[in-house]
Amino acid sequence: MIRARQFILGFILLLGMTGLAEANSGRLVADLSKSNIAITSGFHGTDLLLFGAVDGAVGDDILVVISGPPTDIAQRRKANRAGIWINVETNIWQKVPSLYTILATSPINKIASPETLASLEIGTNNIGLEIAAETPVAGRPKPTANEFIKALQANMASIDLWPDQTGNVTLTENALFRAEVKLPANILSGTYDVRVLQFRNGVAISEDITNLYINKGGLSAGIYNFAHDYSALYGIFAILFAVAAGWLAAAAFRRS
Amino acid sequence: MLASMYIYLPIAEISMHIGIIIGLGGGVGFLSGLFGVGGGFLMTPLLIFLGVPPAVAVATEANQIVASSVSGVLAHMRRGNVDFKMGGILLLGGVIGSSLGVMLFTFLREMGQIDLVIKLSYVVFLGIIGFLMLLESVRTIMRTRRPGGRKTKLHQHNWLHGLPLKMRFRRSKLYISALLPLAIGAFVGVLAAIMGVGGGFIMVPAMIYLLGMPTSVVVGTSLFQIIFVTANVTFLQSVQTQTVDFMLAGLLLFGAVIGAQFGTRASALLRGEQLRGLLALMVLAVCIKLGFDLVLRPDDLFSVELLK
Repeated sequence: MIRARQFILGFILLLGMTGLAEANSGRLVADLSKSNIAITSGFHGTDLLLFGAVDGAVGDDILVVISGPPTDIAQRRKANRAGIWINVETNIWQKVPSLYTILATSPINKIASPETLASLEIGTNNIGLEIAAETPVAGRPKPTANEFIKALQANMASIDLWPDQTGNVTLTENALFRAEVKLPANILSGTYDVRVLQFRNGVAISEDITNLYINKGGLSAGIYNFAHDYSALYGIFAILFAVAAGWLAAAAFRRS
Repeated sequence: MLASMYIYLPIAEISMHIGIIIGLGGGVGFLSGLFGVGGGFLMTPLLIFLGVPPAVAVATEANQIVASSVSGVLAHMRRGNVDFKMGGILLLGGVIGSSLGVMLFTFLREMGQIDLVIKLSYVVFLGIIGFLMLLESVRTIMRTRRPGGRKTKLHQHNWLHGLPLKMRFRRSKLYISALLPLAIGAFVGVLAAIMGVGGGFIMVPAMIYLLGMPTSVVVGTSLFQIIFVTANVTFLQSVQTQTVDFMLAGLLLFGAVIGAQFGTRASALLRGEQLRGLLALMVLAVCIKLGFDLVLRPDDLFSVELLK
């Protein structure tokens, strides 16, 4: 396995080198050890390897952003009303990447300036997230992303979907890079973008994007589709199964 | 190896350890057999605590209670402890109530207040019921310890029993208005849908104190009614919200049906007032825990829900 992977890496590197016209522009090719992942019954998160080759120089950095699939998120704020903590405000974040992970060879503030990162749309602060009140109230100021993004980041970090730690990327001989990517058990199914960028002196000089596909598979997909496509039948089946199980248990215990 | 013990729940969309699910089912199943309650009032908060979305916990628990109630009711039927006529009236009310309850649930969920309503209902109902039961069982235990304690009447009649539509319930030795069990059934049905419970912890005391049914038939009859009400909730939630997780329910009920059998046997070893006293303490414990959660300042004032 490992030998085959090394061979492929070398091959990719060769391709990259020979195709290189401008010596300074840099070139980068990245791939994943598996790009199709099935959420089956045994799914408990997964590890995969991101690897690739780059035409690098001493001091270059590699930065990886994994993000996807967009979803709306309801954010609720609690306040004390008559002694009880209840949700008093609900805002909806629109089309937010449900997973957002950054991996890099160095701390990202050492790789590029905040302005550069913002212009490259790296980091959840910089992807132009929009928020709106669930039910707008006349006279009440509209919520702004600035006001609520910190709380969103903290909540999403606590459920492992927006890790607040930058993961590690190893760059060897300024040519080969690899990173272990851990995907949490609660990721959504859908298409993920994997962006890999090469930085030199604080400037991004090359970029590659690949996709990662996560889908429900096996029994778990079967149950999910059954529940959504034939919901009445699913309900009846669930009831019959429960009745049968209860009956069987009672019968089994009576005999013993 | 350990990782293979995890199972991905397709509707809840989370991964959980199989041992935790089956163990939870077994433990709660034992209590349900012991006290003749569905156990939902323990299971639903525990599932939510373990990270199952509240809506999925409530709907899935209804499905699981169907199984543990079937298993429990068969044991009681063999001993002739089910009043089918009374159960039928309760169940008619229950089907009406639980249908209204699922509608209310859907509405509150859209309002973003379902969590609060679930927790408040728990605190209020568990608090009242637990306190009353504890008081009653302590009083009974004190009375029986005192020599020459007076015998209580079979049951006390009150004005509610005199409402129209009087019916004879032979097994319960009662001649009372059918409107009363109908109303109790409907009320418990609403709670079943909103709280993800069978409602036994409300119905059992209501049958004893409001209807005046003999304790021996109360548990079997309440289980009989619970089967149909929770089946109705399972069906309606499947159709309206698709929140019944069959995989989770299956594993829970695997543990629960076994636990319930042991519980039913253990219940023969304890006296009625001791059982009620224990149940009361447990009900109060859950109530206090949930009550604190509502009153104490949460660590994080913000929470998120991924909408799909």
